[in-house]
Amino acid sequence: MNHNVEKENMASGPARRVHVAVVKDLVKTYGGKGVQTRVLKGIDLDICRHDFIAIMGPSGSGKTTLLNILSTIDKPTQGTVILDGQDITKVPNKELSRLRRDKIGFVFQEYNLLDTMTLQDNIALPLSLSGVSGSECVDKVQRLAALLGIEEHLKKYPCQLSGGQRQRGATCRALITEPEIIFADEPTGALDSKSGRDLLECFRMVNDSGQATILMVTHDPFCASYAKDVYMLNDGKILCRLSRGEDRKEFYDRIIDVQTSMGGDFLCQ
Amino acid sequence: MTKLAWINFKSGFKNYLSLVVSLAFTILVLFNFQNLIYSGGFEILGTRNKEYVEIIVNMITFVLVCFMFFFIWYSTNVFLTRRKKEIGIYVFMGLSNEKIGKLYFLETVFTGLSALVLGLFFGALSSGLFQMILLAISDLAVAVHFRPGLKPALITAGIYGAVYMIFAVKGYVNLVRSSVLGMISAARQNEYVRQRRAVLFIKSIVGTGILGSGYYLAVKKDQGGTMGNAFGAVVLVTAGVYLLFGGLIPLIFQAAAGNKRFLYKNQRVLWVNSLIFRMKKNYRTYAMVSILLLCSVTALATSFAMKGRYDSIIQFENTYTFQLISPRDDLDEQAAAVIGEGNEISARSRIPILCLDSSYVDSRYGGSHYAILPWSGLKELAGEAGLDFPFEPLEDHQIIKVSHLHLMSLLTDQSNVTVTIAGKNYRQVEDTSIPYLGYLQEPMSFYVVNDREYGRLKPFGEELHTYNYRIKDSGNFVQTRDRLDRFVAGLEGDDTARIAIDPESNELDWIKVMYSICVFMFFVFVLASGSIMFMKLYNDAFEEKGRYQVMMNMGIGREALRKSVKAEMAVAYGLPFAVMGISSCFSVGALARMMFTDLTGINVVSVAVVLGILALWYGLSVRAYERNAGIY
Repeated sequence: MNHNVEKENMASGPARRVHVAVVKDLVKTYGGKGVQTRVLKGIDLDICRHDFIAIMGPSGSGKTTLLNILSTIDKPTQGTVILDGQDITKVPNKELSRLRRDKIGFVFQEYNLLDTMTLQDNIALPLSLSGVSGSECVDKVQRLAALLGIEEHLKKYPCQLSGGQRQRGATCRALITEPEIIFADEPTGALDSKSGRDLLECFRMVNDSGQATILMVTHDPFCASYAKDVYMLNDGKILCRLSRGEDRKEFYDRIIDVQTSMGGDFLCQ
Repeated sequence: MTKLAWINFKSGFKNYLSLVVSLAFTILVLFNFQNLIYSGGFEILGTRNKEYVEIIVNMITFVLVCFMFFFIWYSTNVFLTRRKKEIGIYVFMGLSNEKIGKLYFLETVFTGLSALVLGLFFGALSSGLFQMILLAISDLAVAVHFRPGLKPALITAGIYGAVYMIFAVKGYVNLVRSSVLGMISAARQNEYVRQRRAVLFIKSIVGTGILGSGYYLAVKKDQGGTMGNAFGAVVLVTAGVYLLFGGLIPLIFQAAAGNKRFLYKNQRVLWVNSLIFRMKKNYRTYAMVSILLLCSVTALATSFAMKGRYDSIIQFENTYTFQLISPRDDLDEQAAAVIGEGNEISARSRIPILCLDSSYVDSRYGGSHYAILPWSGLKELAGEAGLDFPFEPLEDHQIIKVSHLHLMSLLTDQSNVTVTIAGKNYRQVEDTSIPYLGYLQEPMSFYVVNDREYGRLKPFGEELHTYNYRIKDSGNFVQTRDRLDRFVAGLEGDDTARIAIDPESNELDWIKVMYSICVFMFFVFVLASGSIMFMKLYNDAFEEKGRYQVMMNMGIGREALRKSVKAEMAVAYGLPFAVMGISSCFSVGALARMMFTDLTGINVVSVAVVLGILALWYGLSVRAYERNAGIY
């Protein structure tokens, strides 16, 4: 293990911090009785308000499985995930939908904007479905779109936008309901480097301004270097946590070092 | 290749199911109509009626074949677009376009064959039931033969096979000529953003104008051009409805989507956008369904109107059982004695009529036999026969036309009619179909003038006397007729004519068959409309599956998505229904004028029946859509 890795007790954070999600002893097994694959082998993780966490790891390390469970799309085999004060492993499906809608924002690699509606309608969709009034929806969308620099594209359809604009639109949609946490799955995976950088700047801006807690899964060290903390996942376990200092470049180098030390199986997906 | 096509067909049968069922249904209907002709079920109606029925059935077959043509065209197009992308993958396996085309052709042939087998099988099973229902509605006492014939099956298979092969070959040619890129992106070919507002605006104005003109032609009263008006109305309303769905309706929805305060209301943002997105691709379907529904309501209204008209005509013709026309004015008592022998005479009347040579009369009914009736004589007859006489005394230049009941009349404007008799112009103030002279009103045109004019016109014609009798017991008809014939033969000279109307005559039974066929056509059209909508939505759901998955991942609950689907389906079904509802007021109104009947109640009932059937289709569509889109 690299000497720059800060070993901390990952199950507990500073007392003043407000927990958004607490993960304890998370295990996920796939397969039947004969052949079982343990994808996650007892993950413990605290996510506090205003965190910006990146989960990194080689292919097959369990990053996406962890994200799916945290975002309530999948269920764990064992362990607990406390989100918004509830153990989501025990919450019925209908309630999970409500939780996803109200407490969680998603940013997917492929944007997942609906091509049947304008960017404005895409962003307003979660609010509208929550029963927020039309005028409030319009105001909020305008405000947030201005913050992310896409206000002039609101009337356009996704197919008329660049990848970066779409992903900022998707981020806007994720933020519109003011969720407790945003889960981003390889958000820059489909973007060119300039658009990717712009998006990550947006992430940092909304995180720094206290508007979002972000958990991002990525294989890209550059992308991860925008986070405040990077968790390295390998073979279903968290190996270490890296925390950013003031210098992002230095943080990026540390991530690369750890990645190198973890060996050749850290493959890009 | 055949094996691969067969495997594809078997594995994808669920996807083909809606197409197979819809095609099988059209085959079933066509077979049943063909079977009607060849089953011999109508032999009992007599040659004349049978000929009429065959003419009607052949006309309906023509309509059904036209419908089948468009239906197969439409459905194979929908499926070609879907299959194109799937079988386009074979390009990467090194298959040539010709082989992919052949694969599609074989799969299409399997689909067509299974539809044919199913259609003929269920057609044969249902043929007895079909005839039974048809005859029961027609109120005809004909023994039903459960006899599905080979000839109608071959004719049906021949017609269907020919039409189907045209489109199977068309699909093959389409694939052979497709580029690789075109093939694998076929599923996205129809996607679009929004239609240009200016284009929609122009379409809306033109469409509204055309539709309005169509409605105007439908309700316009005319003294001879009704057929032309009706044809014009059909063409204009059809074109207008297409433009309405292609212009005004998308424009309204786009305007609604532009108003965000309106749009952002729970699921509305989802379904309004979805409707707009699909409108360009689906508007032809909506328009087609509107037209079919309009046809169905008009067919049902025609059926009811025919039933009413048939009853009235029968009643009209049977006003009197026997009528004598003679130059003699002293036959009443003698004839009454002959007829009344062993009979109760339930109605009896007499009136002099002045028969005119047609050269003295100039009216728009050229070539008829004309006779003049005196106003006071007719009033007296009405009193004797117990018929209404709601007419004021006439002035010298006024006449009343006494017509018979038409099944349908193309003369819908009876205002400002002038008739010239013996060089003098008369203004027609009324046109009545009260059966004063019963059956005699059918071959002859009668005009009523005041008594002074009657006297003035006497030198231009020959005065005859009519004696009219109705017997109570129709069972005595033949004996009485024979007795009356002997009486007439015994009169001096041979100028007395006898008319006998058999109350049991089945001469007009073909009308009964026609109105039951109209009822059947109503169901065919409604079911066809529903199946078209169902098939369309069934396929749309597969394309929407990905979107719904995204939304569920975002945390949008199935409940919310299902609500959105329900609203979208309700609008998809509701729009053609609403357009049909409005248009039917005009089409049924025009029909009512042609058949001299008030069809308002029937219009309301038939629209309500359509609503009920569409509600069932709606329920089925929602369920299938939810299942196919993965949100059930």
